Amino acid sequence: MSQAEGTAVAAGAPGLRRRRFSRGRFLRGSVPYGLIVPVAAAIGAILGYPLYSLVRLSLQHYGLFELISHRGQWVGLDNFRSVLGDAVFWHTLLRTVVFTAVNVSATIVLGTLVALLLVRVSAWARLLLTGGLVLVWATPVVVAVQIWYWMTNFQNGVVNYVLTKLRVGDFFQHDWYATTFSQLGLVTTLVVWGALPFVAISVYASLAQVPRELVEAAEIDGARPWRVFLDVIFPILRPILLILTSLSIIWDFGVFTQPFLLIGQSHIHPGNYLMGVYLFEEGYVKTDFGRGAAISLLMLLMVSAMSVVYVRKMVRMGDVE
Amino acid sequence: MRSRVFVAAIAAVALGVVAATASAGEQRAQANKLTVWLQIDAQSGWPDLVASVNQQFQKDHPGWTVDVQYQNWTDHLQKFDATLAGSNTPDVIEMGNTEMTKYMAAGAFQQLDKSTFDNSANWLKGLAASASFGGKTYGVPYYAGSRLATYRTDLFKKAGIKKLPTSLAELTADGQKLMKGAKKGFSPIYIAGEDWYVAMAFVYDYGGSIARTHAGKWIGNLDSAASIKGLTAFKNLFLTTSRASKTTDETHPNPYDVYAQGNAGVIIGPSWFTCCTGAKYKADTAQFVLPSHTKGQPLPGFLGGSDLAVPVTGNKLGADWIKDFTSTSSEKTLQAKGNIPNATNLLGTSINERAAARSWFVPTAKHWVDVENGNILRNMLSQILTGKLSVKQAAASASDNITSVLNGA
Amino acid sequence: MNPRRATRAGWNTVAVVLFVLMVFPVFWMISTAFKPDDQIVSADPSWFSLHPTIAHFRAAIDTPFFWTDVKNSLIIVCTTVVISIGLAFLAAIALAKYRFSGRKLFIVLMIGIQMLPQAGLIIPLYVVLARYHQVNALTGVILTYMTFALPFSVWTLRGFIINIPRELEEAAMVDGSTRLGAFVKILLPLAAPGLVATSVFAFITSWNEYIFARVLLNDQGKQTLTVWLSYFLGSSRHTDWGALMAGSTLTAIPVLVFFLLVQRKIAFGLTAGAVKA
Repeated sequence: MSQAEGTAVAAGAPGLRRRRFSRGRFLRGSVPYGLIVPVAAAIGAILGYPLYSLVRLSLQHYGLFELISHRGQWVGLDNFRSVLGDAVFWHTLLRTVVFTAVNVSATIVLGTLVALLLVRVSAWARLLLTGGLVLVWATPVVVAVQIWYWMTNFQNGVVNYVLTKLRVGDFFQHDWYATTFSQLGLVTTLVVWGALPFVAISVYASLAQVPRELVEAAEIDGARPWRVFLDVIFPILRPILLILTSLSIIWDFGVFTQPFLLIGQSHIHPGNYLMGVYLFEEGYVKTDFGRGAAISLLMLLMVSAMSVVYVRKMVRMGDVE
Repeated sequence: MRSRVFVAAIAAVALGVVAATASAGEQRAQANKLTVWLQIDAQSGWPDLVASVNQQFQKDHPGWTVDVQYQNWTDHLQKFDATLAGSNTPDVIEMGNTEMTKYMAAGAFQQLDKSTFDNSANWLKGLAASASFGGKTYGVPYYAGSRLATYRTDLFKKAGIKKLPTSLAELTADGQKLMKGAKKGFSPIYIAGEDWYVAMAFVYDYGGSIARTHAGKWIGNLDSAASIKGLTAFKNLFLTTSRASKTTDETHPNPYDVYAQGNAGVIIGPSWFTCCTGAKYKADTAQFVLPSHTKGQPLPGFLGGSDLAVPVTGNKLGADWIKDFTSTSSEKTLQAKGNIPNATNLLGTSINERAAARSWFVPTAKHWVDVENGNILRNMLSQILTGKLSVKQAAASASDNITSVLNGA
Repeated sequence: MNPRRATRAGWNTVAVVLFVLMVFPVFWMISTAFKPDDQIVSADPSWFSLHPTIAHFRAAIDTPFFWTDVKNSLIIVCTTVVISIGLAFLAAIALAKYRFSGRKLFIVLMIGIQMLPQAGLIIPLYVVLARYHQVNALTGVILTYMTFALPFSVWTLRGFIINIPRELEEAAMVDGSTRLGAFVKILLPLAAPGLVATSVFAFITSWNEYIFARVLLNDQGKQTLTVWLSYFLGSSRHTDWGALMAGSTLTAIPVLVFFLLVQRKIAFGLTAGAVKA
């Protein structure tokens, strides 16, 4: 850039020389800012007030009565104190951390395997499988929950039927929703099933950027598939895997719709709360908006703690020059 | 090629923005518009009534139009909360009768003059209780539904049951007759283990209750002797005649689905259950009123229903619309559609209304919804039915829980 | 040649099995949409009906406002996706290829915003939009969806762009184009797979979004398909499962169409991913 500019300047008229140079430098320096301003403006205009409001609400006692009269009572850090002093909060946090770890690992590992599979198959199989993945991806969550419930229901669920027919055991009218472990297990399969397509397709898209020559060169050298993956493919996949992991942690930590609808309002209780459900029950069902805001901010803190390692790597990566 | 895609994208966006803003503009034009929120049950059930009431209102108030927006039960309260925060609530809102107390206590509604509404002196007790708070009226009962038994006439005939049961003892005996030779998984009387609407009916039948007030405080009453008798009666009926899961609620699965699969002889629920009993058994389906343990009396039915209210920031003409919508003629129309009208002097003799002759309702406490959402009653029932706790123990624990929740702990 | 073909056939089989397992629930949804009512609730599940019916589809399409809601969803989602991906791509270039102060903060903000539970934002967002008359308006929903699509898109696209080697940009710049011009000319085709994946995600997330559309849109003539779908579930009475499944199948079709249109771009990079030293 500077080379091209320099020659242009040298060739330009003496009077214009200095002016064009400084204007060029200003424009050049302001390019990145110009590129991010639209995004910043759009987000700031819509989320600016809600974010400020969230922080303000967390410091107030704000229930239904206050909502209607538009005036809250300042209580300082009482909301935070009450949440942090609640044993249910800590149990839920632990449960959610474990749940997130299981879900994220399963999603990323299975998604990457599916992507690697997509590279190896014929074009028709690839189209079939990606089409199927997109169909899964496109199913609205609410509908997926209904289907999951049907497949596993006590009276005539297809899963019970198939398992009994395959002689895995007697699953006639087995109640999959009887224990917390079973309930959360079902939620896990639902969440991973729904998250797999995005991971698989993104990793596949990233694999498309792997230079074929390098892979073939490594294979000709006699390297085993595992080594080829680690040495050639994985480094290129690193950014996208970091992105997907950080996003998956955020989504799985705060997941709400699947556990709430699948386990059902009548079976949700503190013993099987996940953080997203806890926020909804404590904040919004009980219409305690101040407490809900406090829990939201605490969740923000927790999730950033869980993902900080990945986010840090992602921010540092591609550090130019 | 790329520039063509680029141009197409710009054009699409431009079109999109124009289309979107065009629709935004119109909403500012109409100043005299009454906004009404009804549940979608009205849209599918009695749209003609809604249309005629709108016409009536527009005739009485020239220059006004009525915009009815239909809501879902699952999230209408969340929407309502948002409009309360943004001060642009509707002018009339339909609320479930168990949802009212909390919002009345928070000052969400305008006070109404009870005398301006038809038949207000005779409003059904269960509904009227949900529409007033602190002695003032904030809502108008709209309609109600009770619970009764839907049964398979062919199975009853096959089992030799000649007449319908008129007491709990007869009902249990009939259930046992139906059980003979039944296939695996069949429930003579299908009741979900955690169906508290049915279980509490037994409690109230024996004279017990969920909670009572004393000196301005709520006290859980499930551990009283009468309540325990009721719970025990429920437990006995369930264990004898229901093969439902002991830990499932009354919508997972829906009783009418179990019935349609041929796995139930009797199901208990609202009268509209007959819609969905399946083509196979349509001809062999009829209904009867559930009997009390006292011969000849009906079991008290849960009076589920809706009230109409005017939100505090809505236009007070909403009260006029409500007046038209709950007038005697409107209530008669609702009655013809199979609902229970809002006043005793309008009650007819349909089976639905006979079942409502004895009814029960939840405690009209500000924090009642927390009891429901905390699943206190459901957990108690599954503990009792699975045998984890005795009736006395489970009732005592639930009672303590209810006491602390209702008093705002 | 032969062993290669054999392994490929082997992988193809695995792919088909995986397809069957993954798609089974969706298959169940579609097959239910074609079943007559009594077969839907029967005690013995049937894989598909021998007497399929299109009555549910007809019932779904005949509901009032179906086509209007289709139109609304398309307007909202297409506008959101095009604007968001366009702006996000430019911002991602800035974050990946330029060095300027405040860069790290902006990147962290992009991921930080996504960590906020959306449930907490519903009411304050409604209040803001109400102030600017953006409630019950498609533009209000577009703005809302954009604010959720942008951080995600910027964050993800940056990751795809980072991968692209610098040598290619420098090669383009020697041609005399501006730095930004070089980026767009070179990066656009190479980042195409990433753009596709991100835009499909933005499309699907916006297409299936429910709670904000529900809270912000009142008139049935302005609502989206997801709100339309919710009416099948929101009654206190019997749920028409057949119509719900038919409606869900219908809502999934545009997504599939969108994906089929853009999916070729993902494979584009496979042949173009060569780095010439």
